[in-house]
This record gives sequence, C-alpha cells and structure tokens, in this order.
Amino acid sequence: MRNRLIAGAACAALALSVAAGCGRDADEGAQTAKEVGAGKASGEITVWAMGTEGEKLAEFAKGFTADNPQAKVTVTAVPWDAAGQKLTSAIAAKQTPDVSMIGTTMQGGLAKTGALDVTPTDLFAKDTFFPGAWDTTVVDGTSYGVPWYVETRGIYYRTDLAAKAGFPAGPKTWDELTAMAKALQATAGAKWGINLQPGKTGSWQSVLPFGWSNGAELTKDGKYTFDTPQLAEAVGYYQSFFTQKLAPANLPQGALEPAFIRGEIGAFMSGPWHVGILNEQGGKGFAGKYSVAPMPAEKSSTSFIGGSNLAVFKDAKNRDAAWKFLAWLSKPDVQVRWYQTVSDLPAVQSAWTDSALTADPILKVFGEQLKSAKAPPAYPTWDQIAAVFDTEMEKVCVGGEDPAAALKRIQSQADSIGTGV
Amino acid sequence: MTAIATAGAHRAGRTAQAGAKRWRRAVTGWSFAAPFTVLFLVFLALPVVASLVMSVTDMRATDLRTPFAVDFVGLGNYQRLFGDDLFLRAALNTVVFVAAGVPLTIVAALAAANALNSGLIRFRALFRVGFYLPVVTSIVAIAVVWRFLLDPEAGLVDDLLARVGVDGPNWLGDTRTSLASITVMAAWRNFGSLMVIFLAALQGIPANLYEAATIDGAGRWQQFRRVTLPLMRPALLFGAVITGIGYLQLFEEPLVMTQGGPLSSTLSVSYHIYNQFGFGNYGYAAAASYVLFVAIVALSVLQFRLLGTRDD
Repeated sequence: MRNRLIAGAACAALALSVAAGCGRDADEGAQTAKEVGAGKASGEITVWAMGTEGEKLAEFAKGFTADNPQAKVTVTAVPWDAAGQKLTSAIAAKQTPDVSMIGTTMQGGLAKTGALDVTPTDLFAKDTFFPGAWDTTVVDGTSYGVPWYVETRGIYYRTDLAAKAGFPAGPKTWDELTAMAKALQATAGAKWGINLQPGKTGSWQSVLPFGWSNGAELTKDGKYTFDTPQLAEAVGYYQSFFTQKLAPANLPQGALEPAFIRGEIGAFMSGPWHVGILNEQGGKGFAGKYSVAPMPAEKSSTSFIGGSNLAVFKDAKNRDAAWKFLAWLSKPDVQVRWYQTVSDLPAVQSAWTDSALTADPILKVFGEQLKSAKAPPAYPTWDQIAAVFDTEMEKVCVGGEDPAAALKRIQSQADSIGTGV
Repeated sequence: MTAIATAGAHRAGRTAQAGAKRWRRAVTGWSFAAPFTVLFLVFLALPVVASLVMSVTDMRATDLRTPFAVDFVGLGNYQRLFGDDLFLRAALNTVVFVAAGVPLTIVAALAAANALNSGLIRFRALFRVGFYLPVVTSIVAIAVVWRFLLDPEAGLVDDLLARVGVDGPNWLGDTRTSLASITVMAAWRNFGSLMVIFLAALQGIPANLYEAATIDGAGRWQQFRRVTLPLMRPALLFGAVITGIGYLQLFEEPLVMTQGGPLSSTLSVSYHIYNQFGFGNYGYAAAASYVLFVAIVALSVLQFRLLGTRDD
C-alpha cells in the first residue's frame, strides 16, 4: 500500500514537473544596479563572515556605527567548512543575511543563482581596487559585490643560503629559479632546492601563476582553454622541479616550515600568511634570514590573486544600509585599519601608500605583485574544474605523466562540465 | 413479499451501518496514525520523491532560487555517470573495498568472538571492551592515531618493519597500499560490533551439541565447521548484510585519512557523490545516489540468497 502510494506520488510529481513547463529561461544578459539612497545608514545590518574575519568584524564595525548611530551591525561567524553549504541553504530558503563575505572562487556560483545584488556603480569605482580582485566579482559582465581583502603568491627564500648559492637577490626569471634551486641543493647544502605543491587540493593556485607568467589564458570566447602550448610549457616547467629532484613530491603536512627554518628546504612558494608563521616558529632573529621574491618571469611576472569579496543579497532586508557599510569598509583608511586588526591585505590600491604597509619590504613585494596578479575565471563551475586540475597535476608531479596529455584530459573534462554561465 | 422487502431493507440498512462503521474506524485509525503519516510524508517520502525527480533534471546549485526552471534530461545523468571515469574509478574502489573488507571484518569478528567464548575466559571483560572500543571512538581520533601509525617517517608500522630489515611503504601516500590500508583500518574499526553479535550467537548454541560431537570423535575444527558455523548462519547473514550496507557507503575513512587520494585511489562512490553535491551538480549527484542505492539492494539480495535459510 505504502509503496504504491510513494510510486504514485513520484509519478505525479514527475508528470507535474514536466507538464508545469519546466525549462530554463533565456539569459537576461548584463544587469544594472538600483541606486542607493543618500544619507546615513540606519537599521540593523546582518553580516556573515568566515574565519578570523568573522571573529573580529563585530568589534571593528563599531567604527561604522559611531558614524551612523541609527545603524546596528550584527555579525555571525560562519566556519569556512560550512560556508558554501550555509549560503546555498540560505539562498534556497530566501533567508539570507544582508551581507556576506564570499570566497573569490565561490562568487561565480552564487552570482549565477541570482541571489546577489548588482554592485551600485555610484558607490564603488572599479579602478580603486586591484584589477585582478575586481575581476573576481564580475560574473557574465556584471559585478556582484566588492573585493574586501586580497592575497597573492611569491617565492620565499632563505637569504643566507641564496647568497651562498649565488642568488642574493632571489630569482628573477624561470631559468634563474631552476638554477637557484639547483645551487641551493648543490652548494648551499639544502636537502631540497624548493618546495612546490605536488598537485592535490588547491595546487592550481601554485601552477597557474606559472601559466599566466608564460602568457597562458584560461578562457577564450566563453570557453575554458587549458589545452594551450603556453600552459603545457608552464606545467612542464613546474614538473621539471620534481623530475630533477629539486622539490619533494611527498612532504608530510606541517613539515615545510620547520624544514625551511632548519635550512633543509631553500625556498618555497606561498602567500603573505607565511610571514607570521615563519616569524613565530623561527624564533628571534629568523625574520632577517629570509625574504620574498616576486613570481619569476618568463613572459611576465604574474601571480595569483585570492582573498574574499563582500556581497549584498537581493533578499536583503536592509539593502541601502548594507551597501553603505561596504562602502565604509572599502575606504582606504578603514582598509589600513582592518589590515592592522587581522593582517588582511587591502584590496583598495590607495591603501597601500600608507606607511603601515610601505615600511615592510616583504609586503612591498606582495603589493607590487598584486597590481598584475590574476584570478581564475568567475564561472560557476570553477571549483569543479579546479578539482579536476588538482588531480591531474598530482599525476604530473608525483606520477610523472606527460603535461600535455594531462591538460588534454582537463580540457575534455572542462568541455563536458561547461562554464555553467 | 413484504417480509422479503423488509428483510432486504434490513440488510441494506445493516450494510450501510457496517459501511459507516468501517468508515468511522478508518478515520479513527488514520487520525491515530496521522502524526506519523504526516511526518513520514513530509520528511521521508517527499525528499525521496524530490531527489528522484532531481536525478532526471539538469539541476545545479545555481538554480536554487528557481528550482522548477530546470530542463528535464531523462536518463541523461545516468548515461553520463557511466561515462565518467572518476565515477567508474570510485565504483571500482568501492567494490574492491567491500569485497575485501566484508570478509575480513567477519573473519576478524568471528575469530575474536570464538577466542572470547573459549580461550580468553580470564580477562573476557577486558578484551571485550578492548575489541569494542574502536566502534565507539570518534573517527577523527582514530584517523589521527592511524595517520601517526602509518606515517612513513615516524610511524610505528614502518619503524617495526625497519627493525626486521623491511623498507616499509608510504602506506597512505602510495596508490598501491592506500586502499588496502583504509580497508584494514575499517575492518579494525568495525569488527567490534559484529563480535558482540557473534558472541551472543555462540553462547546460544547448546553445549550438549558439542558434547555429542566430542563423543562422535569430532575434532575442534570439525566441531567449528559442522556445529558452530551452521548454527550461526542467521547471525552471519545479519553481519554480512549490515557490514555490506555500511561498507558500500564508505565515506568517513577516506574523507579524514586521504581525501580520496592519492590519485583517486581511495575515492569511494559516497565520497564522489559528496563532491558532486559540493560542486553544485544536484541532478548528477542525485542520479549517482540512486545507482548506489540499487547496488546496496542488489548486494543485500545476493547475500540473502547465499547465506539465507534454506529448507533442505
């Protein structure tokens, strides 16, 4: 009886969904934003933020409510692991907060749901932000949100060992990077010349900068293009560090920093957060023993830009105040203060002229790098493509497979998955 | 004539009365069952139907706000599934894991139960707790401990192997040993609950059967094969079905130990479905879930056929 009931209900639902004229609507194309009303913000603004930002933002937002006494900012801290799930459930239930922090790679998928409000151009000027960071907010020609903070990648190296190896100022080109890694091993006594991520989750963030530095483009005419000679050459170059035994293919988790501090690993590629980790683990005096070089150049020196954006939801109860809050967070002096609070690098270019950021030589390198750094295309399917890319890179780095063949496999997967736009 | 008419009317009245009575009983019955029925329909039947419908559409996470504006793709998702190398790889891994893991777990549980039943009488409580402990321990804690044990640099396993002159592999980092390591770990983690069930079954076997077997001159192995095993068949069937269902849904172990790597060698079907849901491919992931569901039903039916009671 019950089985028949379920089967009947299933058939009915199926028939209904087919008959009810399911099917996709035509694309609406580029969208324009509504204006944000003038005057001070008022009412409650609900904000979701992840990680450290989620913990610290509530306190920090008091600067905003001091200027806008009618407004109240309520911050909910969301763990990164649950962020995607919570946001999609909120969108499905139409119970979104007014504002949420959004990882740059999540932007495409969330914008495509139609849940995000279009960035009002009267409040935000595109060229105040790093161009790569702004691009991450743009989906299908329309911007949905503003960059909040950014990060990028450079080459950390031991200055003392690099001096012994004959590269006191770090590597400038691809050839120099290879030569330095070899010399760090041969003459400076490091066990490994350099550490590069050998595939696995997130390795696209290390591999793609080499591709971009070699002139590779990931998209053309609204399609993914992985199967290009430029990218193949870059992946081949990346692989060479593993085939020449200059980079470890199987470093256990957490072993990198101690090995770098002991001088067993001469260099590694990472982002700004590693400064804090190294200074903490290395103890006194270690801060002077390493430096950061920009991405070595082949055709250009182009790194990866990551970080987080802030977006307002269409279902926001307090839209105007929400955008005003984001405008406040994008002010250069507020961005500098936010950097001083949680060490998040400012996404607003003019904030980088502040002495708090110019004083540090390592930050200067990252600041320079950010001007040209690129982000992956903001397509809804990027996360899935990235997972395919990471798996194939593991085959290349650890399994020693042919880079061009791996890229062909990525391309065929990317073609069948599509961009999702 | 009148008598017949009255009798007919009577009968009609009685059937009407009976109908009303039956109707009232049905209403009462259903209203008593209503709390469950409503909960069942809303929280069980509806999601099941919804996911079945979802599996024949091209729904993605980007359609959340307009879940009905999706295209009907028929069995397209299922077709794509069997052309997806990663899914086939996951399916193969899962089959290998089940084929090796279920017998391993059952044999381990049977051995432990027999040992506790006959040999290890003295510290029985201690051993029982020891064998059962992994079942109630959090998988996260287990994963941390096993990662330490299997670590190629500092792990106990490779350290012991080195002492006898064997160069141990990188258990979880090598594609040839990763799935085997996960299988052994899963068997170790799960045999405790089966052991408890088997122990109960063993103690339910009358002692006089063994006495009779001894008098007939049967050795211990013969007793085990001819007396113990046949009488334990219901318990074995139960163990095989429960473990098979659990193992087909392998997920936690690779998630916390290897993230499906290296090179997808420990990716299971459940993990693949989890990833696909994470990527927002709801239609595709729902189709994969139904394939897994059918596989679970098929395996259970097979086990009932092989181990179930036969009237011979």
